[in-house]
Amino acid sequence: MNTIDDAALVEALRQQMTKSVARQVAASGNLANVDTPNYKAVEPSFADALKGQLQMTATRTNHINPGDASRPQVREIKDAAARRDGNTVELDRELLTMQRASGDFAAAQTALAAKFKLVRYAISESK
Amino acid sequence: MATLGSAITAAASALSVERTRIEAAVSNLANAESTRSANGQPYRRRDVVLRAEPVESFDAALGRSTATGVKVAAIVEDQSEFRRRYEPSHPDADKDGFVSLPNVDAPQEMVDMVGAARAYQANLAAIGLIREMVQKALELGKG
Repeated sequence: MNTIDDAALVEALRQQMTKSVARQVAASGNLANVDTPNYKAVEPSFADALKGQLQMTATRTNHINPGDASRPQVREIKDAAARRDGNTVELDRELLTMQRASGDFAAAQTALAAKFKLVRYAISESK
Repeated sequence: MATLGSAITAAASALSVERTRIEAAVSNLANAESTRSANGQPYRRRDVVLRAEPVESFDAALGRSTATGVKVAAIVEDQSEFRRRYEPSHPDADKDGFVSLPNVDAPQEMVDMVGAARAYQANLAAIGLIREMVQKALELGKG
């Protein structure tokens, strides 16, 4: 009857929060270097991490965990226009990324809190 | 994975760097007419050189990606030509009546200062956003 596993749901929300944090960290690094000559703006790339995960999958229980798919690598942002000093940071893009990451994080947190509330409700025998 | 703590450290490093840039611009403007400095020469305008540097953290020690902060690599003196002005009555005038003045260009300093102030503001906004996220995460632990 229960089609979505609780653990899977919590895990998905956890990954969304991890990704938001990774975006936030990359964007704040870019923002810090808004005036550093030749600095190239970076973004976390989850697709690469996913590919790495697919290529190397634990097929037996005693295999070492090939890694967390949600652990991001960073890569330079493609087709970003460089300024005359070789810097590719755009202030508005970074601030937008941060706002969006913050929103995503809050959304996942709200859902997770609701989930935990239900669990607590069950533990306390509906009191 | 990189943490929000390192993100705040990166933003904070930028605040300190932008303040240094503003300080440099202000001292350049203040000394725009200083014909004598410690070495007897007119004042030379100072330039702040920035360098990207990964935030030192647990992740960095483990070789994982971490936030990139910024650091003042050096403060260098601009070696371009001094400005020259004809003013024979000036005590530092040479035999032809020209005074060497610091190579400070006021509009350039103003532009630098506005840029640094804007970057400071942006990083302050970033810290606010990160703090919001940390607070939101802590709410999970509330009963």
